[in-house]
Amino acid sequence: MQRLARGDREALGPLMERHHRRLFRIALSYLRDVDEAMDAVQETFVKAYQAASRWDPVSEVAPWLSRIAVNHAIDCYRRRQRRRRTEEPMPDHPIDHDGRWRVGDPSPESEVSGREVGHRIAAALQTLPERQRAIFVLRHYDERSLPEIADALGMSLGTVKSSLHRAIARLRTRLGSAQA
Amino acid sequence: MTLFHERWRVRVSLLAAGVLEAHEEAAVRAHLQACDACRADFERSRRALDVLARDPARTADAPVSVEFLKTRVLARLDEVVVARPFRWGFAGVGLAAAALVVAIVPPLVQRMHTPGTATAVIVEQPLVPEDVMARMERRLARDSAARYLDEAQDLLVTVSAHPADCEKEHGRVDVGEEARRSRELLERRALMVDLGGDEVSSAQPLLDDVEGLLREVAALPACVHADSLEAIHKQMERRNVLMKIDLMTRELRG
Repeated sequence: MQRLARGDREALGPLMERHHRRLFRIALSYLRDVDEAMDAVQETFVKAYQAASRWDPVSEVAPWLSRIAVNHAIDCYRRRQRRRRTEEPMPDHPIDHDGRWRVGDPSPESEVSGREVGHRIAAALQTLPERQRAIFVLRHYDERSLPEIADALGMSLGTVKSSLHRAIARLRTRLGSAQA
Repeated sequence: MTLFHERWRVRVSLLAAGVLEAHEEAAVRAHLQACDACRADFERSRRALDVLARDPARTADAPVSVEFLKTRVLARLDEVVVARPFRWGFAGVGLAAAALVVAIVPPLVQRMHTPGTATAVIVEQPLVPEDVMARMERRLARDSAARYLDEAQDLLVTVSAHPADCEKEHGRVDVGEEARRSRELLERRALMVDLGGDEVSSAQPLLDDVEGLLREVAALPACVHADSLEAIHKQMERRNVLMKIDLMTRELRG
């Protein structure tokens, strides 16, 4: 990070090597779209490079990058919603998500089943308000602690706790049929 | 359900998510032994989280190599670097263009609105069909109202279930941030919800209830006795506000 702060672009290589998969999973979990998730990862590293001089050396890099990624994902999601409102004014049902992500090299059966689970989860996550979804993604997919999440999203710890509770309550209602 | 019990339910969800401290975990596990409803909630949350653990996104690989990604990032950084800096000459051209628009457009608009001319007929034709526009506006109004209710719900849950202890005054809870957010939400309400519109008329009684509660929260001092929140919680309970918000946001979003 110190090399990055001095403007050394070569320092991006090891940083990307270490974090790009994790950031991709965070963005994909939030956005449920591979192309948008890759754009989010790319922009996360661009912003990290631009903001490296302001990075506080006592803080850890991973939560800092997670914060940039999830905030970018929220912006991206808002833009998508606005675009859909103007381009597709009245969809009668939630937009279908294709399960285009790759999971190792699955068999056809496990691929179908994985995609089906992915669709159900995508539909359930889509019902969460933006902030609840961001909190849930950072906890469930990135395993961030509650204080880290509060810091990343600029919220109080109490709000993070109650929002995580609401998110889980909603998801268990939505996924009730999926468990049967 | 009492305020005390609602706090347990939050902790039960947090236990299922694996984020409780050891001492809190022991207390919640002891509570689960005595509370059937909480135990059922815990089991349902665990099952939902088990399904979520099977999400392929958790193990997904990025579809491009890190080298390719690096090339893209460096290209983006170059774009940023070569982006043209602000030039006063361009600002001058912009101002001149703006002045031209100011000089030309008003007379043009006046001509367009002169009755009996062919231009007037063309201008009156809508660019977007009226029914599509009406549907877009309806959708937008309902989405905004749903978002307002979501945010209000988050806030009310925090107030009733899990305010942090006040650092300044022992034995009190800190609702300073929630009071501030309530005031902010009330200010934004007029922008988010078209109160005169038919689109959200079915939500009107609930919106009134929510507004009343937000006003009470907005009037709270930063540090209050937990008992002071009991009245707000009882009102929410009596009117089933949280459940109604869940149902209404679902209805508004179709």
